[in-house]
Amino acid sequence: MGCLRPRRTQGSPRIPIFCGPFSSKGGFRPSVVKDCIHAVLKEELANAEYSPEEMPQLTKRLSETVKDKLKEMGFDRYKMVVQVVIGEQRGEGVFMAARCFWDADTDNYIHDVFMNDSLFCVVAAFGCFYY
Amino acid sequence: MLPTGGVPFLHEGGALMGAAPKHVWGRSLLKGQCAAADLHQPIAPPRRRLRATMEEYHRHCDECIDGVLGGEDYNQNNINQWTASIVEQSLTHLVKLGKAYKYIVTCAVVQRSAYGFHTASSCFWDTTSDGTCTVRWENRTMNCIVNVFAIAIVL
Repeated sequence: MGCLRPRRTQGSPRIPIFCGPFSSKGGFRPSVVKDCIHAVLKEELANAEYSPEEMPQLTKRLSETVKDKLKEMGFDRYKMVVQVVIGEQRGEGVFMAARCFWDADTDNYIHDVFMNDSLFCVVAAFGCFYY
Repeated sequence: MLPTGGVPFLHEGGALMGAAPKHVWGRSLLKGQCAAADLHQPIAPPRRRLRATMEEYHRHCDECIDGVLGGEDYNQNNINQWTASIVEQSLTHLVKLGKAYKYIVTCAVVQRSAYGFHTASSCFWDTTSDGTCTVRWENRTMNCIVNVFAIAIVL
């Protein structure tokens, strides 16, 4: 009798063993994502000035742009959350914190800050693997 | 306003200082439009349960923030402890509920001033199973915004 290998049932997802945040082959790679976010911020906010009428739309547009760029990067089977915070640069105190309950082998986050004389912008992108 | 069905993935959540607080949660998704859900039929909780879950999260986070910041004035020396306490306590509460979710909790505390502060989020997920809730809290000297993102674990 030959050796029988157990076969996976059809359709059950395989979890790639190389799918980790610091792997060169897969995962939500922080360095790559940070470059992408940085490029978007430089492009959108290079000459931006704070104005109360435009900031709500700019904030939403930035979050959608970053999310679309991350989708284009092709992180397969990753659900993504992008949060953007923009505030007027007047020296008021701001403190932000984040905590996550997830699988540290597959999930990761990255954040980037942009500042000029009139505004500051913080973008945080979180990637969660979909099993 | 939440987007209509023509934009399947887009979830917008935002809080503008001075605006009325609003709950935001995922919206129904037409089948097949979410890349992540295409892999197999997700075991998604019913939409009523998702909404109830989000409301439960909202209550928990509100109580957390009240417990940490209630009665305090903005203080630069303590602010990092406070934000860390808020996110840790919120996360602990959420995990104790025992639901099959991955959680992302973010908290921003801003000194109350005449100056503007805007936050928005955009998510690429399955809106039938994943959701978010935003809690806004304020007192005389500071504003606090806590966002909870819950991403379903489907095995």
